[in-house]
Amino acid sequence: MGMILGGLTLVIAGLVFFVVPPAEGLGYYVRIAFFHIPVAWVAVIAFCVSAFQGARYLRAHDLSADVKSAAAAQLGFIFVILATVSGAIFSKLTWGAYWNWDPRQTTIFVLLLIYGAYLTLRGAMPAGHKRARAAAVYSLFSFLTVPFLVFIIPRLYFSLHPSPVLNGTGLAMDSLMLAVLLAALLDVTGIFYWLHKKQTEKLLQEERL
Amino acid sequence: MKPSLWQAVKLVFVKEFTVGMRFKAAWAAMFMFALTTLACVSLALQGGVLEPRLAAALLWIIIFFASMAGADRVFADEDTAGTLLALRLYGGAQPVLWGKMLYTFFLLLVLTIFITPLFLLLIGAEMAAAGAFVLALLLGVAGLAAAGTLLAALVTGAQVKSGLFSVLMLPIILPVFLPAIFLTAASLGAGEVPVGFLGGMALYDGILAVGASVLFDYLWYED
Repeated sequence: MGMILGGLTLVIAGLVFFVVPPAEGLGYYVRIAFFHIPVAWVAVIAFCVSAFQGARYLRAHDLSADVKSAAAAQLGFIFVILATVSGAIFSKLTWGAYWNWDPRQTTIFVLLLIYGAYLTLRGAMPAGHKRARAAAVYSLFSFLTVPFLVFIIPRLYFSLHPSPVLNGTGLAMDSLMLAVLLAALLDVTGIFYWLHKKQTEKLLQEERL
Repeated sequence: MKPSLWQAVKLVFVKEFTVGMRFKAAWAAMFMFALTTLACVSLALQGGVLEPRLAAALLWIIIFFASMAGADRVFADEDTAGTLLALRLYGGAQPVLWGKMLYTFFLLLVLTIFITPLFLLLIGAEMAAAGAFVLALLLGVAGLAAAGTLLAALVTGAQVKSGLFSVLMLPIILPVFLPAIFLTAASLGAGEVPVGFLGGMALYDGILAVGASVLFDYLWYED
């Protein structure tokens, strides 16, 4: 699976750098979007996976669900950092400032804080059911912020971000760009799935030792 | 006879209040922390005028961190004293949670009543919408109490407690914290009061309280 994903990543990178035309108003800076949007997407997916596995642990008391939740959070933390950094660079190049608390910047930053808090909590407790329970409860409790991040934050702050790109009202994307973006989304989601499996195996091995 | 939920909640609240009055350390730490922070802010300003948005942000930062200095003790003290096990044996999850949440709300409310007039006095703020200001404070404190009680239970088993409570609290309380700052700023004269935010805060407070109630069972009843 790693080979297939590696190949797909190379093909998408080739398309982004050599085939995709510059976007109206953004020029070649649009290339960052093909990295930024998929990693931000996966950062959110990882959050959902972590909360879902946390709920599974609370229902079944199965420590492997806790390990899957932790693995998703660890990866989510890396992806959210990548999304934050790539977003800040894109923001500097296009809007002139690295950070301006745009609604989506706020959302991703809150997500970063949640991941950081979750991992800090895990780090502060000895392994076992007590830690698993606390981590699962925190994961689900922090999930309550989602409606706020999605619906309320955009009403609090002015946004420079384009509207969602997949509904045709935001970034001026031609069909080639959209196809490459969808492929990149699929690819990065696949990378997350593959890394999650690997990380789960690694953590399970550590738990056994 | 088995007491009703409300009676049991009341008993837990009274117990918390009595213990709090007997050992005043938590109260003293929280109030002194708030007072020290307020003094720092006021000294740094040296009588300078604060813009309403900045004043609102400072007020909520003081309330947030002062409440962190007291609200995290609600389970930790019992854990240290060894009374948590007794409470676990005799008290059901829901009365314990709601009783402690009510006590935390009371504690934070008293803190807010103590710190807010002093803050307004020291920075010389002019009130434009007192009703919205009071409601924003009430709803903000309710959110802090709802989230704080569950998170205080969560950190009892942690080996490193210092700072952990604030780290866990901030991302969860932001949906209350940010509208509260906007409302407070508007109440102090920074434009029109966004009344809709009050509804949003009340709704999120409700979600936090119900979420805490559902999840607390998993923390309270160990295998």
